[in-house]
Amino acid sequence: MGITLSGVGKKFDRWIFRSLNLSVADGESVVIIGPSGQGKSVLLKMIAGLLPCDEGQIQVPAHHLGMLFQKNALFDSLTVRENLTFPLRERLGIRGEKAEALSKEMLSAVGLSGSENLYPDEISGGMQKRLGIARALIVDPEILIFDEPTAGLDPITSKKIADLIRSLKAKKKLTSVTVTNDVHRAYQLGDRIFLLSQGRLLGGLSPEQTQKTEIPEIRQFILGLKQGPLTEATVESGGPE
Amino acid sequence: MKVVSAILNDVGGLALFVKDVFQTGFRTEKNVKPILDQIVDVTTRSFTTVAFAGVFVGAILVLQFSLILAKYDAQTFLGGLNTSAVVREVGPLIISFLLAGKVGAFTAAELGTMRVTEQIDAIECLGTNPIQYLILPRFIGIVASSLILLMMSLMISILGSMMVASVTYGIYPEQFLGSIPRFVSFGTLAAGMFKSAVYGIIVAGVACYKGYTASGGARGVGRAVTQAAILTNLYIVIANFLTGQFLDVLSALSKGNAG
Ligand SMILES: Nc1ncnc2c1ncn2[C@@H]1O[C@H](COP(=O)(O)OP(=O)(O)O)[C@@H](O)[C@H]1O
Ligand SMILES: [Mg+2]
Repeated sequence: MGITLSGVGKKFDRWIFRSLNLSVADGESVVIIGPSGQGKSVLLKMIAGLLPCDEGQIQVPAHHLGMLFQKNALFDSLTVRENLTFPLRERLGIRGEKAEALSKEMLSAVGLSGSENLYPDEISGGMQKRLGIARALIVDPEILIFDEPTAGLDPITSKKIADLIRSLKAKKKLTSVTVTNDVHRAYQLGDRIFLLSQGRLLGGLSPEQTQKTEIPEIRQFILGLKQGPLTEATVESGGPE
Repeated sequence: MKVVSAILNDVGGLALFVKDVFQTGFRTEKNVKPILDQIVDVTTRSFTTVAFAGVFVGAILVLQFSLILAKYDAQTFLGGLNTSAVVREVGPLIISFLLAGKVGAFTAAELGTMRVTEQIDAIECLGTNPIQYLILPRFIGIVASSLILLMMSLMISILGSMMVASVTYGIYPEQFLGSIPRFVSFGTLAAGMFKSAVYGIIVAGVACYKGYTASGGARGVGRAVTQAAILTNLYIVIANFLTGQFLDVLSALSKGNAG
């Protein structure tokens, strides 16, 4: 049981995208890249059930998913530890000693031991990202939705986080949809890579095929070329982060 | 026309939101402690302000009423008139205005920030109903607190007025207290409680609604707080008129029981 999007569209004051089709197989990792402002975050929120479809439908089994938000969306009035014990209690009904033990284990897995009693505002951006990932993972999800898990991180931390995600996924055979603009991470994390641009999902190729593809938009994007079908209008102010 | 339809939209949205809150199942194991926490929090945070307002409002009314009562040599009625005015009118109004400024603004800003930083989405993602987890405790907390604060401010205002009356006009405390039952019946108390509850629902409903539906970053939160403040005051003034009419009709129907 994977994720199926059929004819999905989203409209705010204008249509952001229309008629998107995508199916993610059980245990598969799909990565979506693309210029900013194309609706990648919106699409992830729709998959997570946080935004309704304005056309088409999305099928997600049992909605047992863990989500990392682009800006982390950590609970800022809770400590680092409580950011993990809260989902354990709310989602899985685990409290007390057991919750403490599980969150301790998760914090050490993402390298946050020692920061248990700090508040999200008091830790660095990279640590916040890792806490966001820990919060998504602690509910033992079958589906992972990651919005830019490595954006704004230094290359070493970024690689570490991608390794962490990969190892966790390998252990549990998780299905995942990840948005990233870091092409290296896309190759590292994706079984298939799509480009979302001008309301269309292009590609859907393996990392090797993606590197060699002749699809002009993808070529332009991964090589960071100025000339190509992705114009200034679609590559918003400064282009991909 | 645009303004009218904007206001109607807002009232409609608010009504649907409050309906959602009422329909959200109360879950004892999840809600009781947060609600109690909220009541304690709101009550303690507003108590000093409400107490001050209680004393001074009581004193002002004493001065006003005694001017009139002195003309008819009826100063012995002071305590009753004073208390009745505080319970029925001034108390509920002042408390709700104070709560709107203090707790309402705080709640709208807190929820608005949680909304624009996607913390509410994150809660939803965990399969937790944000209305139940975030709104219900705040809502019930604010309404319950406004009733508690009304009772507290009533007692403080009686004490304050009694002192002012005794110092300024030489009215004995026994006289002052003795006249209260002649003007204040169970019906009067019930009317005050009813008004306070209605205003409390307005303060809580508007603040929660504006915060919960905020959008557009820091500006959006600012907008939510401002709108909550303005609309709360507006709705309370309107509700003051409507509840007054409603209670008059009720007391006319049950003559003799009116306070
Ligand atoms: N809640 C919203 N209301 C109105 N417009 C929105 C909302 N969320 C996103 N948008 C618009 O949708 C477009 C896509 O946004 P987003 O998904 O964040 O882009 P990406 O993640 O690809 O950078 C943007 O133009 C944005 O302004
Ligand atoms: Mg985005």
